[in-house]
Amino acid sequence: MARTVVVAPMLVALGAAIATLLTRRFDRAKVGLSLAGGIAYVVAVAALFAEVGTEGILTYQLSGWGAPFGITLVADALSAFMLALAAIVSLPALVFAVRYVGEQGQQVSFHPVFHFMMVGVTGAFLTGDVFNLFVWFEVMLMSSYVLVVFYGGGPHTRAGIRYVFLNLAGSAFMLVAIGGLYATVGTLNMADIARRLGDPVTYGVDPAPVLGLAAILLAVFALKAGLVPFQFWVPGAYRAAPAPVSAVLAGVVKKVGVYAIVRLYFTVFGVGTVPGGLGLPGLDGASFLNFFGPVLFVMAVASIGVGGVVAVARDDVDELLAYSSISQVGFIVLPLAVGATVPAVRDLAIAATLVYSLNHAVAKGLLFLTSGAIYEAVGSIDLRDLGGIVEESPTLAGGFFVGGLALVGIPPLSGFFGKMLVFDATARAGADLALGAALVGAVLTIAYFSRAWNRGFWGEPSEAVAEARPSGVQLSVVITLGLVVVAIGVGFDPVFEAASRPSNSRR
Amino acid sequence: MSTVIARTVVRTVVPLILVTAIALLLQGHNLPGGGFIAGVLTATAFVLIYVIYGQDYLEEAVFHRTPVPSLEMFRHGILEYYRSAFGLGLALAAASGVAAIGFGEPFLTQTVRFLHHVPLYGEMELASALVFDLGVYFTVVGALLTILAVVGSE
Repeated sequence: MARTVVVAPMLVALGAAIATLLTRRFDRAKVGLSLAGGIAYVVAVAALFAEVGTEGILTYQLSGWGAPFGITLVADALSAFMLALAAIVSLPALVFAVRYVGEQGQQVSFHPVFHFMMVGVTGAFLTGDVFNLFVWFEVMLMSSYVLVVFYGGGPHTRAGIRYVFLNLAGSAFMLVAIGGLYATVGTLNMADIARRLGDPVTYGVDPAPVLGLAAILLAVFALKAGLVPFQFWVPGAYRAAPAPVSAVLAGVVKKVGVYAIVRLYFTVFGVGTVPGGLGLPGLDGASFLNFFGPVLFVMAVASIGVGGVVAVARDDVDELLAYSSISQVGFIVLPLAVGATVPAVRDLAIAATLVYSLNHAVAKGLLFLTSGAIYEAVGSIDLRDLGGIVEESPTLAGGFFVGGLALVGIPPLSGFFGKMLVFDATARAGADLALGAALVGAVLTIAYFSRAWNRGFWGEPSEAVAEARPSGVQLSVVITLGLVVVAIGVGFDPVFEAASRPSNSRR
Repeated sequence: MSTVIARTVVRTVVPLILVTAIALLLQGHNLPGGGFIAGVLTATAFVLIYVIYGQDYLEEAVFHRTPVPSLEMFRHGILEYYRSAFGLGLALAAASGVAAIGFGEPFLTQTVRFLHHVPLYGEMELASALVFDLGVYFTVVGALLTILAVVGSE
């Protein structure tokens, strides 16, 4: 008997997309169905999460064809964690969007496209096959293209074109690398690749080209995650997209890249070794991870630095948040780099990455929604037009405050444990350089958030702010997400348990 | 405006294309063909009419509708037809997959029945994959024609 619970989140999102497409002309029905779909998605993910918690790894063969020939879905602790992250961010964003995206925007297929994007995200988290990972990436990207150029103005189109071209190039590279992988390994099923790489002599696999192909794939995933030097599309796309979409792009879609790195490099390519060493200058060891560790390290440190420094000088809140998320993804990947190089802290490092991903998803989602609510109420999100929001709307200011502090890493909030685990993993590994980079990054985070706070939220209310009328629904979404940020920090124990399960089950 | 030759050729070719499309659609589940290519071919037939006779002819003579200006089209025009085809096709394809779950099989599982002693035809194959293909077909036709109608009217 097949376990429908594995495929349920995907089917729910697909059903919501189709239902909203069919009811396009009936505005109320469409919004109702869309919200129902969002709620059902959370329920389906919760059911899957519970099932994975008790049963361990679940597999599902689509249309009943056996692996490695059929399409396999695999739900394990890692997928379940990432799906939970997606569900926590997507529902508030959807509720927010109902009030934020104008009437015409709602008619122009906002809801179907949003749900199709969630179909892609869900599929990417669940698939057990590298080629299908590519397919789900495409489903997700196609929808996000539409959402980035949603407003259709000049700057939006410009940002959209850059986003589309970079991602199309990325997809082409990904397809080429996958083709090469199939030619060298002879399979694309992730578990099968790991098995063959673990025993290359029996299966006649030459590991050296696999390492090169895996490196090409890493570039593609880094592009999706917005890591330096592939970060160019991030600020434009996040500014152009409607705020709730930016929340999902920064919170969830970016994490798909991070997920792919964790999944493929730590469970699949991680078992690979090049007999006789890597033969590259400055890199010892024979494991694939000995190569990817330093590469990830350079990318992570550069992201933390570039994102942080540029964010300090931004006046547009959305742009600031976009650069901040480049920097934060650096924080997410840094423990992975350390864990790849130092096997002793690998489990802790993966847990740190997951916890920080969750923290960033929720906090950045909250910040983008707050910025959207400010834009709606004030008509601008330029720090030069803002000021004194604390006096006019304490709730909005509170949302920004909580989100900012969570990213800075202040104790009762979700970010504290994320930052602490990152520092813990790097310190235990004795990676002083990584520790130093993380410290500088943390200081930069404090710098850009306190600057935004001082200029936008404290002081005398500016003219625009004094006439602000925030919408009730948006405020309640901001409050809810703010509470989630606090709840993750206060009730951290189950979160940490869920985040360390993937590395425990890896053995 | 198009020449007599072009118009005459299109008049003969369009039915041929449509018949080929249907043949590809019906055999798609176990021979070369399928919903996607059948959909593309069908769209090509419409494109030929559209290019040679014009969009208004397509609306008046084929669909028996009164053409509306391009901006109106988004809400009331022929686009509604195309977009409904698109949505219904997706729904059909998804439903054919979900139906398998109802029988306790994994999502998208397909089955086949053979009918013997059918008049004229002899043995006949009824594949559930055809329903899925039909969904793909409508999706492709609807999507391609939507794109053509929007881009063409601009």
